[in-house]
Amino acid sequence: MKPIIAAKNVRNERVKNVDFELMEGTLTTVIGPSGSGKSSLLMLLNRLTDPEEGEISYKGRPMSDYPIDELRRKVGMVFQQANLFDGTVEDNLKFGPSLKKDWDSKLGVSLLQKVHLPEDMLTKDVEHLSGGEQQRVALARTLANDPDVLLLDEATSALDMRTVELIEELLDCLVTEEGKTIVMITHDLKQAKRIGTYTLFMNEGSLEEKGNSKELFNNPTSEALMRFLEG
Amino acid sequence: MTEISNLSLLTMIIFVMIPVSMSYYFSLGISKSAIWSSFRGVVQLFLIGYVLTLLFSLEDWQGVGLWVTVMLVIASLQAAKRGKGVPFAFTLSFVSLLIIEVFVLSVWIVFDIIPFKSEQVIPMSGMIIGNSMVATGLAFERMKNEFNDGRGKILAALSLGAKPAEASKMIIRKTIRASMIPNVDTLKTIGLVQLPGMMTGLILGGASPIDAIRYQIVVSISIFSCVSICAMIISLVTYRFFFNNDMQLQTLGGGD
Repeated sequence: MKPIIAAKNVRNERVKNVDFELMEGTLTTVIGPSGSGKSSLLMLLNRLTDPEEGEISYKGRPMSDYPIDELRRKVGMVFQQANLFDGTVEDNLKFGPSLKKDWDSKLGVSLLQKVHLPEDMLTKDVEHLSGGEQQRVALARTLANDPDVLLLDEATSALDMRTVELIEELLDCLVTEEGKTIVMITHDLKQAKRIGTYTLFMNEGSLEEKGNSKELFNNPTSEALMRFLEG
Repeated sequence: MTEISNLSLLTMIIFVMIPVSMSYYFSLGISKSAIWSSFRGVVQLFLIGYVLTLLFSLEDWQGVGLWVTVMLVIASLQAAKRGKGVPFAFTLSFVSLLIIEVFVLSVWIVFDIIPFKSEQVIPMSGMIIGNSMVATGLAFERMKNEFNDGRGKILAALSLGAKPAEASKMIIRKTIRASMIPNVDTLKTIGLVQLPGMMTGLILGGASPIDAIRYQIVVSISIFSCVSICAMIISLVTYRFFFNNDMQLQTLGGGD
């Protein structure tokens, strides 16, 4: 395995001491208290913000070397809120591919199937979707760009248990079968341990601890992580 | 036209006293400002009356040039207040209002809709600049609000690989639409709910209703067009200020 993303001594006004490597074809979970800089970290990886110090590289080259719109397509992000655009589900799904004039409505159907939504939903106005459906459309919209890296900011928090299981299966499939790299923020510690290969623990803006998920949960070394896991 | 005597004009104090009394009765706390704004309005209008008399006595190009410039500067200052935080808000307002005034005036003169006379050009330009000023200010405000409220959607669009122009498309569309809706509604009910000011003025001045309507059509349609152009210019230029060179959303601060 080789690192697809590497962050070295990254710091900006929200995060500090961020140093890690993301291995290709793995799922990394990010945990930490609210306001600890988890979402800010993902924004850095999608280049929605930039580090003031340090460097983040993608496939061995600094992220700033890539055209930013191309990079964002390759490192896709799903936000905590679905943030769907006005219009139909299809309008949302084709947003990314249409920018490259690369849309085929068959793709829409397969994307909906991936996130376990019925295909007749394609023509439905997003206003009429439930919170869980909106979140799944947001995930499908990002997948439409076929990114190498998928950044998920609490993307399953609005879903019921059964749907969470289905999405976790999908994520597992994306990693094992399609070789995608996933970084997922979650407040559900059981989920973080269950699905993560690696886990990053953020605390007060710092990357306090990182490592293999099972080891990190079973043998936390920092006091902050111990306190956090005790809840 | 029947002249309103000074004595008759003084009876308007009764009308001023009504809101002032209401303010006292309901403790609205606006009695001082009601008296002050009424007094200021009267003085301003008298002054403008004298200024216009002076302007109409000058050569047409001098009168028009002088007063249109004054109107453009005042309107731009007012519109720029709403665009606080947007870089070059005054310059942007001034240039867009100037473009509109030149465009409308050219059409009016070239197609012989009105003659190039101070008495005609100044009041009609005032209506165009005034309405465009409101539209400019609203477009600034709308853009700021939309970029604030729609931040999540813009970030989502950027994260999907959209360039700032593509990510802002929905906001630009909303801003232009919002600026056009009041005018669409006004045009729908024009003359039915309320006789427009210009038409009323012409009829009071002795013009036939049909002639008055012709002028009103020119002004109403011109205003409709100008307001749309204003919103378009402002939104198409200002959206860029909400992004940095790396296509990242930035918060606007500071003044012009």
